[in-house]
Amino acid sequence: MDNTSIWIMIIGVSIVSLAPRIFPVAFFSRYEFSAVVKEWLSFVAPAVLGGLTALSILAPQGKIDISIQNIYLWAFLPTIVVAVRFKNLFITLLVGIATMAFLYNFLGM
Amino acid sequence: MQQKELKQGMKEAIPIVLGYLPLGFAFGVLAKEAGMSVAQAVMMSVLCFTGAGQYIAIGIMQAGGAVVTIIMANILVNLRYLLFSTSTVPYLKDRVQPLVASLLSYGLTDETYAVAMNHYQDHPATASYLAGLNLTSHMGWIGSTLLGAVLGSFITNTERLGLGFALPAMYTCLLVLMINRRTDIWVAAFTAMTCLVIGYLFPAMMDNLSNLIIATVIGATLGVIINGQH
Repeated sequence: MDNTSIWIMIIGVSIVSLAPRIFPVAFFSRYEFSAVVKEWLSFVAPAVLGGLTALSILAPQGKIDISIQNIYLWAFLPTIVVAVRFKNLFITLLVGIATMAFLYNFLGM
Repeated sequence: MQQKELKQGMKEAIPIVLGYLPLGFAFGVLAKEAGMSVAQAVMMSVLCFTGAGQYIAIGIMQAGGAVVTIIMANILVNLRYLLFSTSTVPYLKDRVQPLVASLLSYGLTDETYAVAMNHYQDHPATASYLAGLNLTSHMGWIGSTLLGAVLGSFITNTERLGLGFALPAMYTCLLVLMINRRTDIWVAAFTAMTCLVIGYLFPAMMDNLSNLIIATVIGATLGVIINGQH
């Protein structure tokens, strides 16, 4: 891909990736959602995080991998326990990263 | 500008920056390998700020694909932000000026969205908080891209540091924090399952995360139905 094409690509991607983030806020801020729509929207965050968590743990390389060889699945176990117990993002992150480093370096997973 | 709110936003961005570090770095390395200059790699992170979308662009470039293909793939990958962005409106409306809220939504990503939504559960939204959170996260993404593009050839294995688990750990904790109502558990579990089943049946949908969009729409609808029965 030549230089000009790369710049055109970057600008094109910029437009299509920013539009869906900016337009709803810009457009809908003027309207009042009905109670049902608000309720529906309130479930979007738990739903998205359920999906993202499942994909990041069970399909870490973009392919579904539900097996004991999946190092992410092992690292997930202490991480979820700490997340539930402390409800603290930073502590959870540290435990998750440390567990991953341990599994990778010492257990050769 | 409320300094306290700004600082709170910046503080809450720290785990996100930590998670972006290996991802942005890897993007910088791959972008260079695919034939981009350092300036192009960095500008892509400045102007696009879409992790999955930027990786897809590199993949298509290396496969010899066209600009149009990259843009089409990015339309699909970024479609989920329509949902995310819309669901922030009830919190931002009347609290943050629409123009400011729209501009700050530039920095909406899976991660900044989840952290902000968690914050809004017990704090009102402010422009300063959102600026601190989104701009700091974006800086982290840009900075790590620059590091990757410049130093890429020297450092090879970030897996050793366990940083590959930063985002999964963050999603896990945010998921726990997001579950406040009994129905939330059902919605999250059902969406997770649906997401995986669709991904299993149609692996191609995993590449553009359209399985996540479909599963979220079904999951949120299920939540409304369950709540309606009580």
